[in-house]
Formats: sequence, C-alpha cells, structure tokens
Amino acid sequence: MSALRRLPAAPLSLAAGAMVWEVIGRAAGVSFFPPLSTVLDRLGEMAADGALLASVRDSLLNLLLGTAISLVAGIVIGVAMGRSRRVEAALGVYVYALLTAPSLVFAPVFFSLFGAGRGAVVAVIVMYAVFVVIVNTAAAVQAVPAHLEEMARSYGAGERQLLPRVVLPAATPMIMAGVRLGVGRAVTGMLNGEMFIAVVGLGHIVTEAGGSFDSASVLAVLLIVIAVALVAIALVQAADRRLTRWVPQTAKGAQGK
Amino acid sequence: MIEIHGLSKTFTDRRGDTVTALDDARLDVAENEFLTLLGPSGCGKTTLLKCIAGLVPYDSGTIEIDGRPIQGPGPDRAMVFQNFALLPWASVVDNVAFGLRLRGVARAEREERARELVATMGLAGFEKKLPGELSGGMQQRVGIARALAVQPQVLLMDEPFGAVDEQTRRLLQEELLALWEEQRPTVVFVTHSMEEAVLLGDRVALMSARPGRVAELVPVDLPRPRARGGGPDRSGVYAELTAYLWDRLREMHEEHRTVRTGAPA
Ligand SMILES: Nc1ncnc2c1ncn2[C@@H]1O[C@H](COP(=O)(O)OP(=O)(O)O)[C@@H](O)[C@H]1O
Ligand SMILES: [Mg+2]
Repeated sequence: MSALRRLPAAPLSLAAGAMVWEVIGRAAGVSFFPPLSTVLDRLGEMAADGALLASVRDSLLNLLLGTAISLVAGIVIGVAMGRSRRVEAALGVYVYALLTAPSLVFAPVFFSLFGAGRGAVVAVIVMYAVFVVIVNTAAAVQAVPAHLEEMARSYGAGERQLLPRVVLPAATPMIMAGVRLGVGRAVTGMLNGEMFIAVVGLGHIVTEAGGSFDSASVLAVLLIVIAVALVAIALVQAADRRLTRWVPQTAKGAQGK
Repeated sequence: MIEIHGLSKTFTDRRGDTVTALDDARLDVAENEFLTLLGPSGCGKTTLLKCIAGLVPYDSGTIEIDGRPIQGPGPDRAMVFQNFALLPWASVVDNVAFGLRLRGVARAEREERARELVATMGLAGFEKKLPGELSGGMQQRVGIARALAVQPQVLLMDEPFGAVDEQTRRLLQEELLALWEEQRPTVVFVTHSMEEAVLLGDRVALMSARPGRVAELVPVDLPRPRARGGGPDRSGVYAELTAYLWDRLREMHEEHRTVRTGAPA
C-alpha cells in the first residue's frame, strides 16, 4: 500500500483507465468498442506500414505552427488590449464573440481561402487557440498592480521600459494559465481541422477509418492524440514552472492551479 | 529647496464625483531638512508627496526644486512606498538595483552599488532572496536601499513604516535617522503618527483636510543626533509636542465631523 501511495497520481490513474478499458472492451465484445490490447495491436500494424508516421509528422507540424502563431498573436494582441482602453474597445467585442463561437464553423471558409492543405488546418488551430490566450493575457495585464507601475515610473520608466521590466513579468503567471488552455485547445483544433479538411494528418486517418467502421484505428489515433496533448501540456507546465518560480505556493493554490 | 505654491488637485472618480485633495497648498522645505508631514487620513498627504515625485499631475500651482519647476519624475527625487512596491520576481539585489537599471547604469556598476547598500541596510546574506521570503521590516529596508541607490537629493517617504510592527518600526526609525545624519538628504516623510513626526522631523508640517493644505508648521526643538541612545527622552519637549499635535489633530477631526453631519458648530 505504501509503495502504491508513493507512485505519482497521473500514471496511476492512466494505468487504472487502461485496465477498465480492457475489461469493458472484452466483456462487451462489440466491434465498435474493442479492448485496449486490440487497439494497441492495430497501432503497431499502422506504425509498421509507415503511413502513420508521415501523418503524425504532418499533424505535429500543423500543431506546432498553429500553436506558435496563436501564442505570439495572442500575447501581442492581449497585451495591446490590456494596456490600451481604445484597443480593448475596438477588438474586445470580436474577441469575446469568437471565443464563444464554435471554432469549426470557420473551417469551410479557410478551406476555400487556403485550399485543402496545411494552411487551412493551421488557420483552424489558430481559431481554436488564439482567443483564450488573448483574453487571459489582457486580463493578466490589467491585473498588474498599479503600485508597481507607479514605482517604476517614479524611477523614470516610460512605456517601453514598463512593458518588459514590470508588466510582462507581473502578468506571466496569468498569461501562462491562458497558454495552458490555448495549447489544449490547439490539439483539439488540430484533430478537428484535419478531420474536416481530411486530406492530411491524423484527422485524415480518423475520417477514413470512421467511414469504414474501423473503431480500432479510430481509437488508435485517439491514443496518439492523447499522447501528443499530454506531452504538449507537460512542456507548457515545465515552461510555467521556470517562469513563475517566484509566485508563492499559496498564491498559486488561490489561482486555482 | 522645495518650494510649493498654490498647489491644487481635484480627483474625479469613476462615477464622476469630485474630491478636492489639495486646495491652494503651500510648503517650503529647506535643503537637508527632515520634514515630517502629519495629518488626518484622507487629507491629501500621499497626493502632495506624489505631486512632488512627479507621479500625479496637478491642476494648478507650482512645485520648484532649486528654483526649477518639476516636470514629471526626475533623478533628483526617489520615493519610498508604504506597501514597499518591490518586484516579487526579482532578488533583493535586483530590486535595489532596479532604479539604477531603469536609468541605464551598467550591470556591473549597479550591482556593486546595490550590494553595498544591501550591506548598509543590514541585509547582507539576503542578496539572492525574493521579497516574499523576507519580513515586512526587511522588505522596507530593500525599498529604502532602492531609493538611496539612485543617490537622490530628495527622499520622499509615504508612511514607510506604517505596515510594520511596533518594534521593527522603532529599529527602522533609528536606522533611518542614522542614515540621514550621515548623508543628509532632504526628506519629506509622511506619517499619521504624532510620535514619529516629532521623533524624526526638524519640523512637522501639519496638514488639514478640506481644504487640503498645510495648516501649521511646528518646529521640533530636540537635539540631534536622535538615533540610538541619543534619542529624545520622551518627556519634556517631546511629550509637549506630541500632545500639542494631538490637540490640533483632534480639533480637525471634530471640525470635519461637524462639516459632514451639517450640525451647527
Ligand atoms: N486616484 C484617486 N482618485 C480619486 N480620488 C483620490 C485618488 N487619490 C486620492 N484620492 C482622494 O483624495 C483624498 C486625499 O487622498 P490621499 O492623498 O491619499 O490622503 P492621505 O494620504 O492623506 O490619507 C482622499 O479623499 C482620497 O479619497
Ligand atoms: Mg496616504
């Protein structure tokens, strides 16, 4: 028991989930919900023929581009909105509208704009991820304590010094919360975009396999997507820990981390 | 050295209500003087100090330092804040060096000066700590060191010891007096404590609320140095002055209450 308790919670819960999946899959014995072992076998077959690897590479590249654009644009626009009432008034209504709109409805637009390729998928990913980053960044910048800005101004800081020396460091913990959400949404956007546009990446495989009722393949891809998402989130958390080491642990708890 | 004439400042809050914080205020501070600014809360002490710091634009009047009107914050002044205003992500040394950094002092030089001041303020060994790892008294030592680092002619202090416990406050008062007696910057020190105003000041500027202006200047005839042991014996002149200041403040509070309730005087 004590040995069990020493194991980290996440792998433990994953192992339990895998076990439940296997048991239910075997007990049900239906083709649309194969047990984990069948899915893993399928994954091995798919990996062996090489097509999967190319798709994974395609998808990862889409994800990387989409995430990078979302983070850069999201933080730049968010800072501008947080610092300037006028920018916020001008952009706020669009940002909040698009934050709540179902992002996939724009896929046909991108499809006709960029054609059935990488451009359209990346655009869908950005639609999924960028707004939550903008909103969090703007809120983070507005929450920077006024007394810190005042202190910096008393030592002669202008806007160009305030931003890198006070505003961005102070806003980093909340910005990172938005980045975490944004990266999660980017993974969703990648799969949805690829499924809709359906000529590249993992989403393409899902659509094909789904069309022929090949549940094992669909679930195999799902496993890969989950792995990608977990790695992406782990990377974000590592960056977060490096950047926000100074935040007291109690404050982090209060932030709802 | 600091000459303030006819200074007025009215704030408009978000609902459109106006508060007149300063109304035709005047004040002269002599070179190397330690002036304490005492008054009921909300009378405009912080506003006056921030006007001198160049942080708050005022509606009318003039503020001159050595005959030159101030234009925003300047390297001749540094402010110490009640809530310390330290950067929580920066080490003690980086916080102390922050003003120098903003003013473009090269890294090696500003760190050397910061380390010296850290030692002067009794914080040796804490150079790498973050503000969150320090007690309130130590945090304000960092705040004072940061202000001294830029070698200001004028030190503006807004209730700097208001947020620390009584014993720490006594220590900090003595340390500040020792520093001042050595370096003799011009100090404007806001406080709400009669005892502190008398203990530290050459003169006490007593501020009234509504109108927010300096109502009276009270000279403090206590010998210096007052730091460590040489402090006033808290009887005689010291006791008389604090009692007098309290009488005046109580009058102000009573007047204020009459004005607010509209009762006949
Ligand atoms: N930024 C502001 N906006 C609106 N009212 C303010 C602002 N700053 C100060 N005031 C008002 O001005 C008056 C004087 O404030 P302050 O200078 O902080 O007083 P003190 O420091 O003496 O307590 C108060 O009534 C306060 O509410
Ligand atoms: Mg005040």
